[in-house]
Amino acid sequence: MKEILQVKSNRTKAYSIERKQAKWGLLFTVPCLVFFSIFSFYPIINAFITSLTNKQALSRTSKFVGFDNYAYLFAQNDTANGGFTLWNSLRATLTFTIGTFIPMVVISLLVAVLLMSLRKDRQRGFLQVAYYLPAVLSSVVATAIWMIMFDPRGLVNQLSNVVMMTTGKDYKWLVDTNMLQASTMLVYFWKYIGYFVILFITGLAAIPPTIYEAATVDGSSRWHTFWRITLPLLKPTVVLVSIMAMLQCLKTFSTQYMFTQGGASRKPIDVITMNIYFTGIRNGRLGRASAMSIILFLVMLLFTYLQFSTSKTDDVEY
Amino acid sequence: MKKAIVILLALMMLAPMAFANAQAEEAKPVTIEFWTHEDANRQRLEERYIKEFCETHPNVTINVTRQAATKMIELVQTAFAAGQGPTVFNLSINDEYPYIVAGRVAPINYAAAGYKDAQAVIDAYAPGMLESVTYEGDVYGLPLELTNWCLFINKNVFRSAGLDPETDYPKTWEEVVEVSQKLVLRDGDILTRRGFDFRYPYYLESMVPMVEQLGGQLFSEDGKEAIVGKDAWVKFFEFMQNWGPNGLNLGSPTYKNARSLFNANNNDIAMAMTGLYQEARIKNDNPDFYNSGDWMVVPFPTFENAVNDTAACYYGHYYMVNGDVDEATQKVAWEFISYMLSHGEEYLKEVNIIQPTVALMNSETYKNTPYSAVFSQDFERGHIVYYGANSTEIQSLLKETVAAVMLEGLEPEKAYNQLKAAVQELVDEVN
Repeated sequence: MKEILQVKSNRTKAYSIERKQAKWGLLFTVPCLVFFSIFSFYPIINAFITSLTNKQALSRTSKFVGFDNYAYLFAQNDTANGGFTLWNSLRATLTFTIGTFIPMVVISLLVAVLLMSLRKDRQRGFLQVAYYLPAVLSSVVATAIWMIMFDPRGLVNQLSNVVMMTTGKDYKWLVDTNMLQASTMLVYFWKYIGYFVILFITGLAAIPPTIYEAATVDGSSRWHTFWRITLPLLKPTVVLVSIMAMLQCLKTFSTQYMFTQGGASRKPIDVITMNIYFTGIRNGRLGRASAMSIILFLVMLLFTYLQFSTSKTDDVEY
Repeated sequence: MKKAIVILLALMMLAPMAFANAQAEEAKPVTIEFWTHEDANRQRLEERYIKEFCETHPNVTINVTRQAATKMIELVQTAFAAGQGPTVFNLSINDEYPYIVAGRVAPINYAAAGYKDAQAVIDAYAPGMLESVTYEGDVYGLPLELTNWCLFINKNVFRSAGLDPETDYPKTWEEVVEVSQKLVLRDGDILTRRGFDFRYPYYLESMVPMVEQLGGQLFSEDGKEAIVGKDAWVKFFEFMQNWGPNGLNLGSPTYKNARSLFNANNNDIAMAMTGLYQEARIKNDNPDFYNSGDWMVVPFPTFENAVNDTAACYYGHYYMVNGDVDEATQKVAWEFISYMLSHGEEYLKEVNIIQPTVALMNSETYKNTPYSAVFSQDFERGHIVYYGANSTEIQSLLKETVAAVMLEGLEPEKAYNQLKAAVQELVDEVN
């Protein structure tokens, strides 16, 4: 009987400690929740409500139109709205995302492994900073610099001539439809690869060296160690990086915007965020632009869910 | 009698109070958010005008925001959408007109601006100059500048190509191509010097007139049909495709704009399309080139078989006042605008911009401005740029269609169909 009472008393104690901790936890979480509610949830709800209206930037009133904006966007044929349809934007966004995020995840992982294998800390530190530097540069400035380099007289075209062993050829980096898409991917890749390298380095540093030592003692080759030890233990970081990279690519805007401001053709690179911008800000159709942003939100939600569900992100224990 | 005396005494007691209230109202602090596009020469003048105005109106604070003209279109619209529009702003009329239609700007406070009524304002300006800002009997804006474009020519570049600028300058678009082919320098396929290039963001101003020369129209007379005259539009698109990097490779929207390069006289460009204000900018950026006399201005070309002799459209940047601000602020805003615009001659002398008042257009200052006669003649050959509830969107559609033709290789006929469908949709929406 005494024992039962003791257990009960311990349970009550534990329960009250948990409750106390939970209260403190809640207190510390409240600012974050308030922040998210104001700056994330409210705009999403507001955008959804606006997407059900015909709101225009300059008009003082708007009319409830139900799902007309969505119906209009999905019913557009190839030539509607001068060719700047939702379908074209989804195509441009997916092309950009696949063309950027897969190479970015793979190459940033390889670079991170390469940097971690460097024995001299100073070399590693220097290269980390060098890779990371473009990420701190404003996207607008970075794109403006790259556009000068993509000019027919610029560095990239000159290098292309050297590599392809031609002289005076214009590779039309800003003109040709495919080259233009590749140019935007290149700028984005250059700008963000350092950021993901740093994330991978953080993940790699968390793997205990004893595991590698044991593998070396067992005679595992470097290749084998990478595939059998590094990659499985790095899985949570890989999932995190790939989701972040994918979401960032789906939200890309400033690179494409700057290119079109510089005279490049809009249609090949009219990613959905840019279409939202032109529809809402330039043409003042806020209802239609909000419908597009809700569609983008759902696309991002779907891809994130798919990625989570296919990668089975169980915690890794060392 | 007694009653009358009491009322009189009461009124006498109340009168000073009412007067005091009026004075308090007068002295109430007023803040004016003034948004305008960048122009280094104009900025110098306006900074002085603002200082002078604030000295005579100590209760007024004027905050100035300056941005590139293309950026300002988006900034003003976004600010108005958020209910935070500037007190005073100016845009090109095709971008400004939708604000009048949507009721977002206030009509002129005629007394504050120094006029008796709407007719008095209209009479003070050259005929037709305020038509685009007159809506339902009221005038909604006063022009900061009225601009049309002609061709600026660098004589040195012409001479270096063995051409005589005085006689060989192009009069037709076909000659623009021909002369440009002689003027361009290339390193393989790469252009290192252009003969001429268009002003790509401004299609309503400079390219619609080219279509009109060929017999096409942006809208039918009754305004119900868009992109009228298939042959003219297709011919225009063919011309642009031929001009671009996939054709004769004489220019491209992706190159640095010709107008900005012109002043430097760096052997980059021989001809640029721009307004009278360019003269002040050349003088400011490169006084040696300005004084050398190695530049000249010629009229806007026409096609050889043109059916209409149309020059570039003129457009106005009009000062407007936000209709959401209180009446006292609106009054001060119009006083401020009127004060700035009372310096028309100085604007013309220092910045080479035309505020088209009857007085200024007949002044010696205007007549003595180099090549003002060329611009005046082109004013007569041209008409005001298209403005309507959707003019900003139409400008974007024209831009993208021309870019698709020049850069993506879109077939001119397909481009015509695509543009027609898109603009027609906008017209049908309004109707």
